[in-house]
Amino acid sequence: MASGVRFEGVWKKFRRGEVHDSLRDLIPAVARRFVRPGTRPPLSEQEFWAVRDVSFEVGPGHALGIMGPNGAGKSTILKLLTKILRPDRGLREVHGRMGMLIEIAAGFHPDLTGRENVFLQGAIMGMKRVEIARKFDEIVAFSEIDDFIDTPVKRYSSGMNARLGFAIAAHVDPDVLIIDEVLAVGDFRFQDKAFSKIHSMCTSGIPVVLVTHQLDRIATLCTEAMLLDQGQVRLHGTPSDCIQQYTMGPATAPTDSTDCALTIDVLRFEAADIVRSGDRLAFQLSGRSRSDFDSDATDLHVSVRSATTGMVLFSTGALPCGVELPRDRAFDVSFDFQANLVPGLYHVETAVWDHALQRIVRSGPAKSFTVQAGDSPFGGSIQLNAAMSVMPRSNGTASQKSDSTIMTPSGILINS
Amino acid sequence: MTARVPSPELNHMSTVTPPISQTSLAEKPRNLPLKDMREAITDVWEHRDLLQQLTLRDIKLRYKQAVMGLAWAIFMPVLIVFSGLIIRFAMAQMSGQHLVGTEVADIALKGIAWAFFVGTLGFATSSLIGNMNLVTKIYFPREVLPLSSVGAQLFDSSLGVCVLAIILPFLGVRLHVSLLWVPVLFALLILFTTAAALALSCANLFFRDVKYIVQVILMFGIFFTPVFFEPAMLGARGAFLAALNPLTGILEGLRLSVIDGQSLLQPLTTVVKGVVVPVWNPWELVYSAVWAIAGLIGAATLFRRVQPLFAEYV
Repeated sequence: MASGVRFEGVWKKFRRGEVHDSLRDLIPAVARRFVRPGTRPPLSEQEFWAVRDVSFEVGPGHALGIMGPNGAGKSTILKLLTKILRPDRGLREVHGRMGMLIEIAAGFHPDLTGRENVFLQGAIMGMKRVEIARKFDEIVAFSEIDDFIDTPVKRYSSGMNARLGFAIAAHVDPDVLIIDEVLAVGDFRFQDKAFSKIHSMCTSGIPVVLVTHQLDRIATLCTEAMLLDQGQVRLHGTPSDCIQQYTMGPATAPTDSTDCALTIDVLRFEAADIVRSGDRLAFQLSGRSRSDFDSDATDLHVSVRSATTGMVLFSTGALPCGVELPRDRAFDVSFDFQANLVPGLYHVETAVWDHALQRIVRSGPAKSFTVQAGDSPFGGSIQLNAAMSVMPRSNGTASQKSDSTIMTPSGILINS
Repeated sequence: MTARVPSPELNHMSTVTPPISQTSLAEKPRNLPLKDMREAITDVWEHRDLLQQLTLRDIKLRYKQAVMGLAWAIFMPVLIVFSGLIIRFAMAQMSGQHLVGTEVADIALKGIAWAFFVGTLGFATSSLIGNMNLVTKIYFPREVLPLSSVGAQLFDSSLGVCVLAIILPFLGVRLHVSLLWVPVLFALLILFTTAAALALSCANLFFRDVKYIVQVILMFGIFFTPVFFEPAMLGARGAFLAALNPLTGILEGLRLSVIDGQSLLQPLTTVVKGVVVPVWNPWELVYSAVWAIAGLIGAATLFRRVQPLFAEYV
């Protein structure tokens, strides 16, 4: 049987508030049940479904990303997957040894040394002692705490703790990989290292289930995604669809809650929804205006939002762009911008802006697009289209005009 | 002694109810106790490296940053033995006799066995609660947690047994063929203690006051268990009542086979004030064995069946 996980109509309920946790509470409760059989204390009113009818299947070569707001049931699903919790209804199947990048330092005991904890935590993660002994040097090298491996873990910094935990978890060689919010471990350099380790595990063909709030990680690592809300699956589809739905929420569909003189109906890409960093991306937009439309009072609003951070990076409108929308008719607008952005997933959102209120009064359609690395790699958070030219000087004679221009390996000469 | 897990059908009543067609998918047919037991054994066996690591951890933690170090392993039994000696000395004084070497050996031997029982339960009862972060976060057969308490105490007690083996000859104890009973009796003691450890750790997870009850029982249990005395001292009826304690057969068996060199297959009697009082009956051993084995099967089954609820109720 190939390794993988399967959920079929899984339900899980939890209780709000206290459960009987001492005999003193239990005995009266049991006695009450005996006195009035058939009636039960109103416990069930305190119950709620944390996971409702969730089904999915992840096989080899697939990576499922689960996203959703806090309390959506993401971690509960992982606990159901890892057999910590038992579903109230439905079927849960797991085939193969499960590797968990979850609570990676949970088994550490502060009084034991790093070395002792590697063996303990490794065993908790399901590794055999010989296996840990064989990988020990590799684990320590990965965690970069060689000098402190014989120091009790209680003297470690939290970063060292997490690094060692990650290093152990990453060396389990699982058949199925479960990842929960462990992508932010240590400093940025170690995060990169951890991420490339996770990336290589994810792309090695084993089934992966990933839960994180770092949506760009889902976009890069996962082949499919699931958006959860209040224990239910809102959307199960491609990562970009789910991310779009999640970060924009109800804004995806135009709302007409307020009476508005301007309506935006359609937003579409002129060409592809993938652009290389630094290139221009073009859109077509259709809308209509009523006879009472006043371009000084209401305006078309376009903004670009990062899918990762949810932050608006740029916004503009018809007025700032120097165009005037016609009154009392349907119209098409084409607009484009230079995607001077780091590779990742972004949304472009449209809306109706009220100048007097200084806010969006109606949301319009939105689309998401992907930025890929361009010809000239760059660091930082914005593509500034740097140009560089070099004029070699001949030996001895200064300030002689050169006729050859040499490109640097990282920069390309761009005239804009 | 079979546990009923609250079945999901019993207590769901909510605004949303799942479709009936999917109800039975997750429900495995209820296993027979022995099948649960077998499942538990294979599961623990597959995780034997984890059990070993957790036992090592428990042993190391007892001696890390402890001034007395390994002396702690001997300290508890020594304390029990000395309390016993004071009582026996007082009893000897009252009846105008002298305390003899073999009596000291009696108390030392039974004291170590009792210390094993008490020490294990003391640690095992809170083993699941104490590892709450593991129980709620990572899956492994939870049996290994109380079992590692048994393992760690076994290490401590074997130190005590080694010390005792050196001391016994000086107290006038000779080698007997009946020493062959010792492995059987130790095995029964370990099985019975394991059964209690599994049941109590599990009970304490659901009801925190179990820990206090256990403390009280262990504190006064020594008066209801023939550690400092022999059942025959209580008279015929007293001896019978004392034999109801499953530990009586094990502790008395140890005393008779190691110190007195008696075969445990023959009944023994003594005459106290002209009344014949039974000292040993082979059925006591059978009684203890039944408790140990049935108890272990029951406790392991109970543990297996409620295990999926641990993470929720902890």
